Amino acid sequence: MIILQDVHYRYEPEGIDALRGVSLQIQAGEHLAVIGPNGCGKTTLIRHLNALLLPTGGRVIVDSLDTQDRTRHAEIRSQVGMVFQNPDTQIVGMTVEEDVAFGPENLRLPTAEIKKRVNESLARVGIAELAGRNIENLSGGEKRLVAIAGVLAMRPRYIALDEPTAFLDPAATGRVLSVIDRLHSEGVGIIHITHNMAEAALTQRILVMSRGCVCLDGAPRDIFARVEELKKIGLQLPQITELFIRLKASGFPVHAGIVTIEDALQQVISMAVQSKD
Amino acid sequence: MYHTGSFIKGQSRVHHLDPRLKLAVTIVFSLVILRLEQPVIYTAGVALFVLALACGISLRTIGQSIKPLLFFMALIFVTHLFFGERKNDVAINNAFFDFSFSCFGLQQGFFVLWQFLCLIVVAVLLTVTTAPSQLVAAIKYYLRPFARLRLPVDDVAVMIMLAFRLMPILLAEKERMENARSARGFDPRRSGLLAGVKSFVLFASKIISGVFRRADEIALAMDARNYQRGERSSFVELKFASADYLIMVVLCCSLVIFVALNLYFG
Repeated sequence: MIILQDVHYRYEPEGIDALRGVSLQIQAGEHLAVIGPNGCGKTTLIRHLNALLLPTGGRVIVDSLDTQDRTRHAEIRSQVGMVFQNPDTQIVGMTVEEDVAFGPENLRLPTAEIKKRVNESLARVGIAELAGRNIENLSGGEKRLVAIAGVLAMRPRYIALDEPTAFLDPAATGRVLSVIDRLHSEGVGIIHITHNMAEAALTQRILVMSRGCVCLDGAPRDIFARVEELKKIGLQLPQITELFIRLKASGFPVHAGIVTIEDALQQVISMAVQSKD
Repeated sequence: MYHTGSFIKGQSRVHHLDPRLKLAVTIVFSLVILRLEQPVIYTAGVALFVLALACGISLRTIGQSIKPLLFFMALIFVTHLFFGERKNDVAINNAFFDFSFSCFGLQQGFFVLWQFLCLIVVAVLLTVTTAPSQLVAAIKYYLRPFARLRLPVDDVAVMIMLAFRLMPILLAEKERMENARSARGFDPRRSGLLAGVKSFVLFASKIISGVFRRADEIALAMDARNYQRGERSSFVELKFASADYLIMVVLCCSLVIFVALNLYFG
């Protein structure tokens, strides 16, 4: 479990308070989305989870390891993998397998174990065929998957992803999301920053951030029911939720708390069955 | 997209050789090339070109590697032609031209250019057939004895690896910035000297600040993946196979032949 206790973070020398008293718990195996407008502290928050940033106030505890204890950083960073927004600044190797091997090399694992982990990680994200390819010849979506595989090779319990689908086309977005979904089903805890409300709706829990604070925390259905608060922060609802709210307002007998296509489909089918009866 | 010096995956014998052998051969052959005389250097050059083609390196790839050095090569040639030792001068006098050049200078210029070409082909042979990680592993192997003198061998290896990685990124960034300038109507050929210098300074400062930003971001990403200074293990396994010993014997023999021919003709 990751525990944040009254975490404050101030960027110096600018003196910007990026986090102002964030407290929360993230369970192992949980799928969590972090949403909020630009500059609200989402990236700063997830960088605290693997000790890339240390709180200027409060504590971050990862599986009972305090991030303030620098001697435990190697363990913490093995537990919490970080996928950055721009894969070009995360990928260190020239070829796919070299990059995926970077983390295990830092863990000083024997060559045979590194090779095993590289093959295993590439297979887990479905890009085993790209192993020897030059990074420069990959698409944006493939680079994201390489970045995820690079983190997986360290066998983390949690992965924090900073807008993993930004700038991707729908096909690549779908591929990345299905990999994230698969990792979650394999028991990896996912902390996923996104601006896409439909992506956030697919998770188990949503944290809404504004001005360095967590202002809403709950299941997608509960979060997206708080329409006025979200609009005040400057966030939009998933399109499907908006549609059902408008249908309800127009007098149709539908529930307003629809957040996914599957929910909507169930509603439409049940309405069709009722009208048939 | 091929950038000068990038590795191209292939299945040639040279691709599969141990990187330590390739690195050592490259250094030895580069030194020998600088000592070879005419006409042995031409034979060696042709042999190198044939070897490069046999490894699947196209003339286009060699051409792309030569391109950034063309101006420098032309300068060397012209310097030898007009300012070298004057022997067997040829004078050209007609309505359009009135100048003379040295035939010896022409020969010398061509010789130096050929030496240069040979060195480029040797370097291309190494970098195109050797994955950067393999090359870094070979460099690390040769630097290992210096660890006793407190040389941070693993850190040096990571630095070299990052240099390999950053090169194409920075070239792409430079191209993007050039395109952005062109898209907004900037044409360096039409701008005056002062405007050109001003624009170059602005361009260079943007590139440099971009390099620092990238370096910061990469350092952060390396931290996130548990990078710490000091010893690291390696994904690359260096193994000397029987093919390496065979190639070593062949190369040694050819080296002896070239040196003998050089002594005979020299």
